[in-house]
Amino acid sequence: MTFWFGLSPILVVGLGTLLLMLAEAFGKSPNSANPSDAGSGRSGELALGAAVVLLVGAAFSIGVWMVGPENLEGLEATRPYLVMDRFTVFFCFVLSLGGAFAALLAGGYLPEHDIDRSEFFPLLLLSTVGAMTLVAAGDMLSLFVALETMSLGVYCMVGLRRSPRAAEAALKYFLLGSFAAALLLFGAVLLYGATAHTDLVGIGQAIKTIGQPGSTVPVAPVLLGLTLTLVGLTFKISAVPFHMWTPDAYEGAPTPATSFMAVAVKAAAFAILLRVLVVAFGDDRLTSWGTGWPPALATLALLSMTVANVVAGRQSSVKRMLAYSSIAHAGYALVGVVATMRSADGQASVLFYLLTYTVSTVGAFGALIYCGSRGAEATSYEDLAGIAKRHPAAALAFSLFLLSLAGLPPTAGFFGKLYVFRAAFDAELYVLAVVGLLNSLVGAYYYLRVMVFMYMREPAPGAQPAVPMKSAFVSSALVLAAVLVFALGIAPGWSLDMAGAAKIVVSAK
Amino acid sequence: MTELYLPMFIMFAIAAGICAVMFLGGQYLGPKNPTPEKRLPFECGNDTSGTRGVRLSVKFYLTAILFVVFDIEAVFIYPWAALFKGLGWPGFMTMLAFIVALLVALAYCWKKGALEWES
Repeated sequence: MTFWFGLSPILVVGLGTLLLMLAEAFGKSPNSANPSDAGSGRSGELALGAAVVLLVGAAFSIGVWMVGPENLEGLEATRPYLVMDRFTVFFCFVLSLGGAFAALLAGGYLPEHDIDRSEFFPLLLLSTVGAMTLVAAGDMLSLFVALETMSLGVYCMVGLRRSPRAAEAALKYFLLGSFAAALLLFGAVLLYGATAHTDLVGIGQAIKTIGQPGSTVPVAPVLLGLTLTLVGLTFKISAVPFHMWTPDAYEGAPTPATSFMAVAVKAAAFAILLRVLVVAFGDDRLTSWGTGWPPALATLALLSMTVANVVAGRQSSVKRMLAYSSIAHAGYALVGVVATMRSADGQASVLFYLLTYTVSTVGAFGALIYCGSRGAEATSYEDLAGIAKRHPAAALAFSLFLLSLAGLPPTAGFFGKLYVFRAAFDAELYVLAVVGLLNSLVGAYYYLRVMVFMYMREPAPGAQPAVPMKSAFVSSALVLAAVLVFALGIAPGWSLDMAGAAKIVVSAK
Repeated sequence: MTELYLPMFIMFAIAAGICAVMFLGGQYLGPKNPTPEKRLPFECGNDTSGTRGVRLSVKFYLTAILFVVFDIEAVFIYPWAALFKGLGWPGFMTMLAFIVALLVALAYCWKKGALEWES
């Protein structure tokens, strides 16, 4: 029984996916007799179902966390394919929460914008299950399967809207995603060839023997495998220079799908990146500045922050700006990942950062959704002009999430950035920390620009101003996200302690 | 290592060399006498007709995908059947869960009309 309870965060959502699929196919559509459109016009109930499933999954994560996965008997049986440790449970919570937000946003967005395809919700749940198993993966095989499970659902969600732009976005994401997955697989093959292990722990131990007498592990394939694995994973977190797909895919996708990609896909990819780096490539020589991965990831972090911030400031579409902002945030979180090389707080800072980033980003996309209505989706800065007068609550919520993304106190984003940069200082990565701080200042410019448009501009004469939508789904998601942003910003202690307890510790064998 | 693979590399080199000699020889030494007939793409002796791409109904794609999905899933059942006794009840239950998930997928496809050829 303890075994099933330990796996429950994933199992609940998995079972819920199957049930929701059946509910979608076997229900009766109010506006179409065609069986293939059985979900048409039922976005509301299906969104509610999906959100309930995901929130129950989150509740089970909390339950497993309270009991402690290490106290549950028999849970080691799933290792190394699924590693249910505190790290996994922490991310199961974050991912179910992010998925639930996306489901709520979609419940308001899809009917409003006439994207009458309720396949969205089973796909969303399926992707979330994939993301959870990805976080739990302790073996290159399960890692790859989980990565594909997560990605396939997202590819479909991106192309949900039947427009050339959405098709372009989906195709671009799919092709580049396939390439990245292939590179990751190639890396895994090389590592297997060099170390005769597919499980991360085995790879880590084999790498430790390099240089010892009698070791048969060659160095070159290990380094090449490390590089290819990192390329595959940094593609998913959309770090520069592997970010080319991000703006197009984020802009072409329906906004709830965008928020899911920015939040859940990114968090899961960061989680597995951390796990791979710590468990498989945690050898002292590989975590040192001279001979390991830190300089490579530090370069990616620097590029991501700087390039994304510079380009984000020049966007005319708010959605595209948020896409670039998510690339910049991947850069900040990468700073924390690099800091794991020397600082004990590195991992915890990344985990906490991802939590704060999740609630702020979901809120920002939600507020953007909220500001538009049928036929007039708010996408550009001009669409948002003067929204503060017409709908003060929407403008206030949007401002809160933007402030959190910019990293101003007393919001969640402030502490997220604070801990990441502090970990970087602890790890003596002064350049990274300082560039990160400067970039936060640059980033504040384009976040504040949205607020300037909302509060100080009037819509151009003759322009059709965006009219905020009315949707209980979206507003409840916004309220929940706002509460979390404040809670994490005012009392970050408890969740930071959780992040600290969740970090992966590699037993020294 | 080197002794083991050297003969193979030599064989590759010889094969590549022979191919290169044949192609280049034909290119430079052979007589050339092109006629419009000869320059046509070869299509089993028939006259060429139509454009290059043939548009196929998307139905074929759907059927093919469903076939691949369910066929691959069926392949998973073979190793279980071969080890049926050894795996015992836990193995049976796991396979049952797998097949239930598969059934849900089949029911979904059926209900959604993915198995209807004429629609």
